[in-house]
Amino acid sequence: MNLKYTIMKTTKTFTFKKSNIILLGLFFTLFFTSNSFLAQEITVKGVVSGEADSKTEVLTGTNIYLKGSKIVTTSNKKGEFTFPQKLKTGDVLVFSYLGFVKKRIKINANSSFINVVLKEDENQMLGALNSNKRYTSKRSKQE
Amino acid sequence: MQKIGFFLLFLFVKTCFAQQSDFKNIDFTKADNRAKIIKSKKLLKLNELTFKLTENLETDVEKFRAIYVWICSNIANDYRLYALNDRKRNRFEKDSIRLNKWNSRFKKLLFKKLLKKKRTICTGYAYLLKEMANIAGIEAKIVNGFGRTGAIDLEKINANHTWNVVKLNEKWYLCDPTWSAGISYPDEGKFVFQLNDGYFLTDPALFIKNHFPVDVSYTLLENNSPSIEEFIEMPLFYGKGYDVFEKDISPFKMHHEIKQNETFTFQYKLKKELDLNSIKLVFYNGSTEKSIKPETSLQENILTIKHQFKRTGFYDLHLYAEGEIIVTYTFRISK
Repeated sequence: MNLKYTIMKTTKTFTFKKSNIILLGLFFTLFFTSNSFLAQEITVKGVVSGEADSKTEVLTGTNIYLKGSKIVTTSNKKGEFTFPQKLKTGDVLVFSYLGFVKKRIKINANSSFINVVLKEDENQMLGALNSNKRYTSKRSKQE
Repeated sequence: MQKIGFFLLFLFVKTCFAQQSDFKNIDFTKADNRAKIIKSKKLLKLNELTFKLTENLETDVEKFRAIYVWICSNIANDYRLYALNDRKRNRFEKDSIRLNKWNSRFKKLLFKKLLKKKRTICTGYAYLLKEMANIAGIEAKIVNGFGRTGAIDLEKINANHTWNVVKLNEKWYLCDPTWSAGISYPDEGKFVFQLNDGYFLTDPALFIKNHFPVDVSYTLLENNSPSIEEFIEMPLFYGKGYDVFEKDISPFKMHHEIKQNETFTFQYKLKKELDLNSIKLVFYNGSTEKSIKPETSLQENILTIKHQFKRTGFYDLHLYAEGEIIVTYTFRISK
Protein backbone atom coordinates (compact mmCIF):
# COMPACT_ATOMS: atom_id res chain seq x y z
CA MET A 1 0.00 0.00 0.00
CA ASN A 2 2.84 2.35 0.88
CA LEU A 3 4.70 1.60 -2.36
CA LYS A 4 1.68 2.30 -4.48
CA TYR A 5 1.25 5.62 -2.81
CA THR A 6 4.82 6.79 -3.52
CA ILE A 7 4.58 5.84 -7.17
CA MET A 8 1.39 7.75 -7.55
CA LYS A 9 2.91 10.73 -5.89
CA THR A 10 5.97 10.86 -8.17
CA THR A 11 3.98 10.55 -11.39
CA LYS A 12 1.80 13.35 -10.19
CA THR A 13 4.70 15.76 -9.72
CA PHE A 14 6.14 14.86 -13.15
CA THR A 15 2.98 15.67 -15.03
CA PHE A 16 2.53 18.92 -13.25
CA LYS A 17 5.99 20.25 -13.73
CA LYS A 18 5.60 21.87 -17.16
CA SER A 19 2.30 23.54 -16.57
CA ASN A 20 3.46 24.66 -13.14
CA ILE A 21 5.66 27.41 -14.50
CA ILE A 22 2.90 28.81 -16.68
CA LEU A 23 0.44 28.69 -13.80
CA LEU A 24 2.87 30.37 -11.48
CA GLY A 25 3.51 33.14 -13.99
CA LEU A 26 -0.18 33.66 -14.49
CA PHE A 27 -0.74 33.76 -10.77
CA PHE A 28 1.91 36.41 -10.19
CA THR A 29 0.63 38.60 -13.02
CA LEU A 30 -2.88 38.42 -11.63
CA PHE A 31 -1.68 38.97 -8.09
CA PHE A 32 0.24 42.13 -8.90
CA THR A 33 -2.30 43.65 -11.26
CA SER A 34 -5.24 42.99 -8.96
CA ASN A 35 -3.29 44.56 -6.13
CA SER A 36 -2.57 47.77 -7.96
CA PHE A 37 -6.12 48.09 -9.30
CA LEU A 38 -8.16 47.20 -6.25
CA ALA A 39 -6.03 47.94 -3.26
CA GLN A 40 -7.96 50.91 -2.05
CA GLU A 41 -7.28 51.05 1.63
CA ILE A 42 -10.04 52.36 3.81
CA THR A 43 -10.38 53.13 7.47
CA VAL A 44 -13.49 51.43 8.75
CA LYS A 45 -15.53 53.09 11.48
CA GLY A 46 -19.00 52.33 12.72
CA VAL A 47 -21.51 51.69 15.45
CA VAL A 48 -22.59 48.30 16.78
CA SER A 49 -25.99 47.74 18.29
CA GLY A 50 -28.00 44.73 19.33
CA GLU A 51 -31.62 43.96 18.62
CA ALA A 52 -33.41 42.08 21.37
CA ASP A 53 -37.08 41.81 22.15
CA SER A 54 -37.81 44.28 19.29
CA LYS A 55 -35.68 46.97 20.95
CA THR A 56 -32.32 48.10 19.63
CA GLU A 57 -29.53 49.33 21.90
CA VAL A 58 -25.85 50.04 21.36
CA LEU A 59 -23.50 47.28 22.46
CA THR A 60 -20.46 48.05 24.58
CA GLY A 61 -17.60 45.61 24.38
CA THR A 62 -18.42 43.95 21.07
CA ASN A 63 -15.48 41.88 19.83
CA ILE A 64 -14.49 43.00 16.36
CA TYR A 65 -11.77 41.24 14.44
CA LEU A 66 -10.40 40.88 10.95
CA LYS A 67 -11.04 37.33 9.81
CA GLY A 68 -7.87 35.28 9.64
CA SER A 69 -5.81 37.73 11.69
CA LYS A 70 -5.15 38.72 15.26
CA ILE A 71 -6.05 42.33 14.63
CA VAL A 72 -8.93 43.22 16.89
CA THR A 73 -10.84 46.00 18.51
CA THR A 74 -13.76 46.48 20.87
CA SER A 75 -16.73 48.83 20.64
CA ASN A 76 -16.80 51.62 23.26
CA LYS A 77 -19.58 52.81 25.57
CA LYS A 78 -21.48 54.39 22.71
CA GLY A 79 -21.07 51.26 20.60
CA GLU A 80 -18.54 53.05 18.37
CA PHE A 81 -15.35 51.59 16.95
CA THR A 82 -12.55 52.47 14.57
CA PHE A 83 -10.78 49.44 13.20
CA PRO A 84 -7.04 49.85 13.99
CA GLN A 85 -5.86 48.75 10.54
CA LYS A 86 -6.82 50.03 7.11
CA LEU A 87 -8.81 47.41 5.24
CA LYS A 88 -9.15 46.34 1.62
CA THR A 89 -12.16 45.37 -0.45
CA GLY A 90 -12.92 41.73 0.26
CA ASP A 91 -11.63 41.72 3.85
CA VAL A 92 -14.11 40.31 6.32
CA LEU A 93 -14.79 41.87 9.71
CA VAL A 94 -16.39 39.65 12.33
CA PHE A 95 -18.62 41.11 15.05
CA SER A 96 -19.49 39.02 18.07
CA TYR A 97 -21.15 39.67 21.39
CA LEU A 98 -22.31 37.26 24.07
CA GLY A 99 -25.92 36.23 23.47
CA PHE A 100 -26.07 37.57 19.93
CA VAL A 101 -25.62 35.88 16.58
CA LYS A 102 -22.16 36.52 15.15
CA LYS A 103 -22.11 38.70 12.04
CA ARG A 104 -19.55 38.79 9.22
CA ILE A 105 -19.31 41.88 7.06
CA LYS A 106 -17.45 42.00 3.75
CA ILE A 107 -15.62 45.25 3.26
CA ASN A 108 -16.15 47.19 0.03
CA ALA A 109 -15.45 50.73 -1.18
CA ASN A 110 -18.50 52.05 0.71
CA SER A 111 -17.55 50.58 4.09
CA SER A 112 -15.93 53.64 5.62
CA PHE A 113 -18.84 53.91 8.07
CA ILE A 114 -20.93 50.85 8.89
CA ASN A 115 -23.94 50.37 11.09
CA VAL A 116 -23.91 46.85 12.47
CA VAL A 117 -26.99 45.38 14.08
CA LEU A 118 -26.60 42.04 15.81
CA LYS A 119 -29.66 39.90 16.40
CA GLU A 120 -30.23 38.18 19.71
CA ASP A 121 -29.82 34.41 19.52
CA GLU A 122 -32.56 32.10 20.68
CA ASN A 123 -30.74 30.19 23.37
CA GLN A 124 -32.50 29.87 26.71
CA MET A 125 -30.61 30.93 29.82
CA LEU A 126 -30.29 28.05 32.23
CA GLY A 127 -28.43 27.17 35.37
CA ALA A 128 -28.14 24.05 37.45
CA LEU A 129 -26.18 24.49 40.64
CA ASN A 130 -23.24 22.24 41.17
CA SER A 131 -24.23 20.78 44.46
CA ASN A 132 -22.71 18.03 46.54
CA LYS A 133 -26.02 17.52 48.24
CA ARG A 134 -26.48 13.85 48.93
CA TYR A 135 -29.32 12.06 47.26
CA THR A 136 -32.09 10.67 49.46
CA SER A 137 -34.62 8.19 48.13
CA LYS A 138 -38.24 9.04 48.43
CA ARG A 139 -39.82 6.41 50.63
CA SER A 140 -43.41 5.43 51.14
CA LYS A 141 -44.42 5.18 54.81
CA GLN A 142 -44.12 1.40 55.19
CA GLU A 143 -40.43 1.42 54.24
CA MET B 1 -6.69 -6.00 2.99
CA GLN B 2 -7.90 -2.43 2.77
CA LYS B 3 -11.34 -3.48 3.92
CA ILE B 4 -9.94 -5.09 7.03
CA GLY B 5 -7.97 -1.94 7.70
CA PHE B 6 -11.08 0.16 7.49
CA PHE B 7 -12.91 -2.21 9.75
CA LEU B 8 -10.12 -2.05 12.33
CA LEU B 9 -10.09 1.73 12.13
CA PHE B 10 -13.82 1.73 12.62
CA LEU B 11 -13.50 -0.47 15.69
CA PHE B 12 -10.78 1.75 17.09
CA VAL B 13 -12.88 4.87 16.68
CA LYS B 14 -15.85 3.15 18.22
CA THR B 15 -14.08 2.02 21.35
CA CYS B 16 -11.90 5.07 22.04
CA PHE B 17 -14.03 8.07 22.74
CA ALA B 18 -12.49 11.50 22.83
CA GLN B 19 -11.23 12.33 26.31
CA GLN B 20 -8.54 14.12 28.26
CA SER B 21 -6.19 11.12 28.20
CA ASP B 22 -5.84 11.68 24.43
CA PHE B 23 -3.52 14.51 25.48
CA LYS B 24 -1.51 12.58 28.09
CA ASN B 25 1.75 13.63 26.43
CA ILE B 26 0.90 17.32 26.81
CA ASP B 27 1.90 19.07 29.99
CA PHE B 28 -0.70 21.63 31.04
CA THR B 29 1.57 23.34 33.60
CA LYS B 30 2.35 26.25 31.30
CA ALA B 31 -1.30 26.80 30.39
CA ASP B 32 -2.41 26.49 34.03
CA ASN B 33 0.22 28.95 35.22
CA ARG B 34 -0.81 31.40 32.55
CA ALA B 35 -4.39 31.18 33.78
CA LYS B 36 -3.23 31.74 37.35
CA ILE B 37 -1.10 34.82 36.67
CA ILE B 38 -3.43 36.78 34.41
CA LYS B 39 -5.99 38.95 36.14
CA SER B 40 -8.73 41.08 34.65
CA LYS B 41 -11.11 43.23 36.66
CA LYS B 42 -13.75 43.38 33.98
CA LEU B 43 -14.28 41.42 30.81
CA LEU B 44 -14.94 44.29 28.46
CA LYS B 45 -11.93 43.44 26.30
CA LEU B 46 -12.26 39.73 25.72
CA ASN B 47 -9.97 39.83 22.68
CA GLU B 48 -7.02 41.18 24.61
CA LEU B 49 -7.62 38.88 27.53
CA THR B 50 -7.82 35.82 25.27
CA PHE B 51 -4.66 36.70 23.38
CA LYS B 52 -2.80 37.26 26.65
CA LEU B 53 -3.94 33.87 27.88
CA THR B 54 -3.04 31.95 24.74
CA GLU B 55 0.10 33.79 23.61
CA ASN B 56 3.04 31.46 22.92
CA LEU B 57 1.10 28.34 23.78
CA GLU B 58 1.76 25.94 20.96
CA THR B 59 -1.17 23.57 20.71
CA ASP B 60 -4.89 24.26 20.56
CA VAL B 61 -5.47 22.05 23.58
CA GLU B 62 -3.07 24.15 25.69
CA LYS B 63 -4.74 27.36 24.52
CA PHE B 64 -8.13 25.95 25.34
CA ARG B 65 -6.88 24.75 28.70
CA ALA B 66 -5.60 28.22 29.63
CA ILE B 67 -8.97 29.78 28.72
CA TYR B 68 -10.90 27.06 30.54
CA VAL B 69 -8.89 27.23 33.76
CA TRP B 70 -9.01 31.03 33.72
CA ILE B 71 -12.80 31.05 33.41
CA CYS B 72 -13.20 28.40 36.09
CA SER B 73 -11.01 30.25 38.57
CA ASN B 74 -12.28 33.78 37.91
CA ILE B 75 -16.00 33.58 37.18
CA ALA B 76 -18.22 32.99 40.20
CA ASN B 77 -21.59 31.30 40.18
CA ASP B 78 -24.23 33.83 41.12
CA TYR B 79 -26.81 32.14 43.28
CA ARG B 80 -29.18 35.11 43.32
CA LEU B 81 -29.25 35.27 39.53
CA TYR B 82 -29.87 31.55 39.45
CA ALA B 83 -32.74 31.74 41.92
CA LEU B 84 -34.32 34.69 40.14
CA ASN B 85 -34.21 32.94 36.78
CA ASP B 86 -35.45 29.69 38.25
CA ARG B 87 -38.44 31.39 39.84
CA LYS B 88 -39.42 33.25 36.67
CA ARG B 89 -38.93 30.25 34.40
CA ASN B 90 -41.16 28.17 36.65
CA ARG B 91 -43.79 30.88 36.70
CA PHE B 92 -43.86 31.27 32.91
CA GLU B 93 -43.40 27.57 32.21
CA LYS B 94 -46.63 27.31 30.23
CA ASP B 95 -46.60 30.76 28.67
CA SER B 96 -43.95 30.70 25.95
CA ILE B 97 -44.39 34.36 24.98
CA ARG B 98 -43.75 35.63 28.49
CA LEU B 99 -40.98 33.08 28.96
CA ASN B 100 -39.18 34.32 25.87
CA LYS B 101 -39.64 37.92 26.96
CA TRP B 102 -38.20 37.08 30.34
CA ASN B 103 -35.35 35.15 28.73
CA SER B 104 -34.43 38.14 26.60
CA ARG B 105 -34.50 40.53 29.55
CA PHE B 106 -32.58 38.16 31.73
CA LYS B 107 -29.97 37.56 29.07
CA LYS B 108 -29.09 41.24 29.06
CA LEU B 109 -28.81 41.33 32.83
CA LEU B 110 -26.79 38.12 32.81
CA PHE B 111 -24.16 39.28 30.36
CA LYS B 112 -23.87 42.68 32.03
CA LYS B 113 -23.17 40.95 35.35
CA LEU B 114 -20.73 38.60 33.67
CA LEU B 115 -18.72 41.28 31.89
CA LYS B 116 -18.68 43.81 34.73
CA LYS B 117 -18.83 41.71 37.89
CA LYS B 118 -17.53 38.35 36.68
CA ARG B 119 -20.53 36.52 38.11
CA THR B 120 -22.93 34.35 36.16
CA ILE B 121 -24.88 31.08 35.86
CA CYS B 122 -24.21 28.06 33.62
CA THR B 123 -25.23 29.53 30.31
CA GLY B 124 -22.97 32.50 30.96
CA TYR B 125 -19.98 30.22 31.54
CA ALA B 126 -20.75 28.29 28.37
CA TYR B 127 -21.12 31.46 26.28
CA LEU B 128 -17.91 32.92 27.60
CA LEU B 129 -15.96 29.73 26.95
CA LYS B 130 -17.29 29.50 23.41
CA GLU B 131 -16.55 33.15 22.71
CA MET B 132 -13.00 33.06 24.05
CA ALA B 133 -12.25 29.74 22.31
CA ASN B 134 -13.50 31.23 19.04
CA ILE B 135 -11.29 34.28 19.50
CA ALA B 136 -8.34 31.88 19.88
CA GLY B 137 -9.42 30.17 16.65
CA ILE B 138 -10.84 27.08 18.33
CA GLU B 139 -14.29 25.81 17.40
CA ALA B 140 -16.64 25.36 20.37
CA LYS B 141 -20.38 25.07 20.84
CA ILE B 142 -22.95 25.53 23.57
CA VAL B 143 -24.97 22.50 24.63
CA ASN B 144 -28.24 22.75 26.54
CA GLY B 145 -29.58 19.84 28.47
CA PHE B 146 -30.38 18.23 31.75
CA GLY B 147 -27.81 18.29 34.52
CA ARG B 148 -28.35 15.76 37.26
CA THR B 149 -27.38 16.29 40.90
CA GLY B 150 -28.51 14.88 44.22
CA ALA B 151 -30.63 17.98 44.74
CA ILE B 152 -32.71 17.54 41.60
CA ASP B 153 -36.10 15.93 41.44
CA LEU B 154 -35.95 13.22 38.79
CA GLU B 155 -39.68 13.37 38.22
CA LYS B 156 -39.36 16.88 36.84
CA ILE B 157 -36.91 16.62 34.00
CA ASN B 158 -36.49 19.88 32.14
CA ALA B 159 -33.49 21.40 30.42
CA ASN B 160 -31.74 23.12 33.34
CA HIS B 161 -28.07 23.24 32.48
CA THR B 162 -25.59 24.33 29.81
CA TRP B 163 -22.14 23.03 28.93
CA ASN B 164 -19.80 22.90 25.91
CA VAL B 165 -18.31 20.77 23.21
CA VAL B 166 -14.97 21.78 21.73
CA LYS B 167 -13.16 20.63 18.61
CA LEU B 168 -9.48 19.79 19.12
CA ASN B 169 -7.37 17.97 16.53
CA GLU B 170 -10.51 17.34 14.44
CA LYS B 171 -12.31 15.57 17.31
CA TRP B 172 -15.12 16.83 19.52
CA TYR B 173 -14.69 16.80 23.31
CA LEU B 174 -16.97 17.49 26.27
CA CYS B 175 -16.50 19.92 29.14
CA ASP B 176 -18.55 21.69 31.79
CA PRO B 177 -16.98 24.96 32.96
CA THR B 178 -19.75 25.70 35.48
CA TRP B 179 -19.30 22.51 37.42
CA SER B 180 -15.51 22.71 37.07
CA ALA B 181 -15.48 26.11 38.74
CA GLY B 182 -16.71 25.23 42.20
CA ILE B 183 -19.54 24.30 44.48
CA SER B 184 -22.68 26.17 45.45
CA TYR B 185 -24.21 26.04 48.88
CA PRO B 186 -27.79 27.14 48.16
CA ASP B 187 -28.89 27.19 51.81
CA GLU B 188 -26.18 29.69 52.64
CA GLY B 189 -26.36 31.45 49.26
CA LYS B 190 -22.64 30.85 48.91
CA PHE B 191 -20.28 29.81 46.12
CA VAL B 192 -16.81 28.41 46.72
CA PHE B 193 -14.19 28.19 43.96
CA GLN B 194 -12.75 24.69 43.72
CA LEU B 195 -11.34 23.70 40.35
CA ASN B 196 -12.51 20.23 39.32
CA ASP B 197 -10.42 18.84 36.49
CA GLY B 198 -12.88 15.98 36.13
CA TYR B 199 -15.21 17.95 33.88
CA PHE B 200 -12.44 18.94 31.45
CA LEU B 201 -12.48 16.77 28.29
CA THR B 202 -14.29 14.04 30.18
CA ASP B 203 -14.78 10.55 28.77
CA PRO B 204 -18.27 10.72 27.20
CA ALA B 205 -19.20 7.44 28.92
CA LEU B 206 -18.72 9.11 32.31
CA PHE B 207 -19.97 12.56 31.29
CA ILE B 208 -23.36 11.11 30.36
CA LYS B 209 -23.89 10.04 33.99
CA ASN B 210 -25.02 13.55 34.88
CA HIS B 211 -25.35 15.38 31.54
CA PHE B 212 -28.19 14.56 29.16
CA PRO B 213 -28.23 16.91 26.14
CA VAL B 214 -31.45 18.06 24.45
CA ASP B 215 -29.81 17.15 21.14
CA VAL B 216 -28.67 13.56 21.67
CA SER B 217 -25.84 13.79 19.15
CA TYR B 218 -23.97 15.87 21.77
CA THR B 219 -23.51 12.88 24.07
CA LEU B 220 -20.64 12.06 21.64
CA LEU B 221 -21.54 8.42 22.27
CA GLU B 222 -22.88 7.94 18.74
CA ASN B 223 -24.98 4.78 18.62
CA ASN B 224 -24.43 4.08 22.30
CA SER B 225 -26.40 7.12 23.47
CA PRO B 226 -28.89 6.15 26.14
CA SER B 227 -32.55 7.11 26.11
CA ILE B 228 -33.76 9.54 28.76
CA GLU B 229 -35.27 6.57 30.67
CA GLU B 230 -31.94 4.78 30.66
CA PHE B 231 -30.25 8.00 31.74
CA ILE B 232 -32.48 8.32 34.81
CA GLU B 233 -31.67 4.74 35.80
CA MET B 234 -27.92 5.42 35.89
CA PRO B 235 -26.04 5.74 39.18
CA LEU B 236 -25.75 9.27 40.56
CA PHE B 237 -22.18 10.57 40.38
CA TYR B 238 -20.92 13.64 42.24
CA GLY B 239 -18.05 16.01 41.36
CA LYS B 240 -15.43 13.97 43.25
CA GLY B 241 -16.28 10.94 41.11
CA TYR B 242 -15.26 12.89 38.03
CA ASP B 243 -12.07 13.96 39.72
CA VAL B 244 -10.88 10.45 40.61
CA PHE B 245 -12.48 8.13 38.05
CA GLU B 246 -11.66 7.83 34.40
CA LYS B 247 -14.90 5.88 34.09
CA ASP B 248 -17.13 3.41 35.88
CA ILE B 249 -17.05 -0.24 34.88
CA SER B 250 -19.93 -1.68 36.90
CA PRO B 251 -22.70 -1.50 37.95
CA PHE B 252 -24.35 0.71 35.34
CA LYS B 253 -27.65 1.12 37.16
CA MET B 254 -28.60 3.06 40.22
CA HIS B 255 -31.12 0.60 41.65
CA HIS B 256 -30.46 -3.06 42.46
CA GLU B 257 -32.62 -5.83 43.86
CA ILE B 258 -30.60 -8.65 45.38
CA LYS B 259 -30.89 -11.51 47.87
CA GLN B 260 -29.62 -11.45 51.42
CA ASN B 261 -25.97 -12.58 51.84
CA GLU B 262 -25.22 -12.00 48.18
CA THR B 263 -21.86 -10.36 47.45
CA PHE B 264 -21.97 -7.37 45.16
CA THR B 265 -19.02 -5.98 43.17
CA PHE B 266 -18.34 -2.37 42.23
CA GLN B 267 -15.60 -1.56 39.71
CA TYR B 268 -14.08 1.69 38.48
CA LYS B 269 -11.12 2.78 36.40
CA LEU B 270 -9.05 5.31 38.36
CA LYS B 271 -7.59 8.45 36.85
CA LYS B 272 -5.26 9.26 39.73
CA GLU B 273 -4.01 7.75 42.95
CA LEU B 274 -6.60 7.26 45.62
CA ASP B 275 -6.12 6.49 49.28
CA LEU B 276 -7.79 3.06 49.48
CA ASN B 277 -8.00 3.31 53.27
CA SER B 278 -10.32 6.26 52.93
CA ILE B 279 -12.96 4.30 51.02
CA LYS B 280 -16.23 4.00 52.88
CA LEU B 281 -19.69 2.65 52.13
CA VAL B 282 -22.48 4.52 53.88
CA PHE B 283 -25.89 2.85 54.21
CA TYR B 284 -28.99 4.88 54.92
CA ASN B 285 -32.35 3.21 55.45
CA GLY B 286 -34.47 6.32 55.86
CA SER B 287 -33.83 6.74 59.57
CA THR B 288 -30.38 5.51 60.53
CA GLU B 289 -27.01 5.62 58.90
CA LYS B 290 -24.23 3.03 59.04
CA SER B 291 -20.75 3.34 57.65
CA ILE B 292 -18.37 0.47 56.89
CA LYS B 293 -14.93 -0.06 55.38
CA PRO B 294 -15.43 -2.47 52.50
CA GLU B 295 -13.01 -4.96 51.00
CA THR B 296 -11.04 -3.17 48.26
CA SER B 297 -8.39 -4.16 45.75
CA LEU B 298 -6.47 -2.31 43.08
CA GLN B 299 -5.04 -3.82 39.93
CA GLU B 300 -3.63 -1.65 37.17
CA ASN B 301 -5.88 1.33 37.87
CA ILE B 302 -8.95 -0.85 38.25
CA LEU B 303 -10.48 -0.41 41.67
CA THR B 304 -12.68 -3.26 42.87
CA ILE B 305 -14.93 -2.96 45.92
CA LYS B 306 -16.83 -5.96 47.29
CA HIS B 307 -19.59 -6.08 49.82
CA GLN B 308 -21.79 -8.83 51.19
CA PHE B 309 -25.29 -7.60 52.04
CA LYS B 310 -26.32 -9.24 55.30
CA ARG B 311 -29.38 -7.25 56.29
CA THR B 312 -32.66 -7.06 54.42
CA GLY B 313 -34.33 -3.77 53.64
CA PHE B 314 -34.16 -0.78 51.35
CA TYR B 315 -30.96 1.30 51.43
CA ASP B 316 -29.39 4.31 49.82
CA LEU B 317 -25.78 3.27 49.42
CA HIS B 318 -23.20 6.06 49.15
CA LEU B 319 -19.58 5.51 48.20
CA TYR B 320 -17.16 7.93 49.88
CA ALA B 321 -13.42 8.42 49.36
CA GLU B 322 -11.02 10.95 50.86
CA GLY B 323 -13.91 12.35 52.85
CA GLU B 324 -16.06 13.20 49.85
CA ILE B 325 -19.12 11.59 48.35
CA ILE B 326 -18.50 9.91 44.99
CA VAL B 327 -21.55 7.99 43.86
CA THR B 328 -24.97 6.86 45.12
CA TYR B 329 -26.86 3.60 44.44
CA THR B 330 -30.03 2.17 45.92
CA PHE B 331 -30.47 -1.46 47.03
CA ARG B 332 -33.40 -3.58 48.01
CA ILE B 333 -32.23 -6.68 49.88
CA SER B 334 -34.75 -9.46 50.24
CA LYS B 335 -34.73 -12.84 52.01
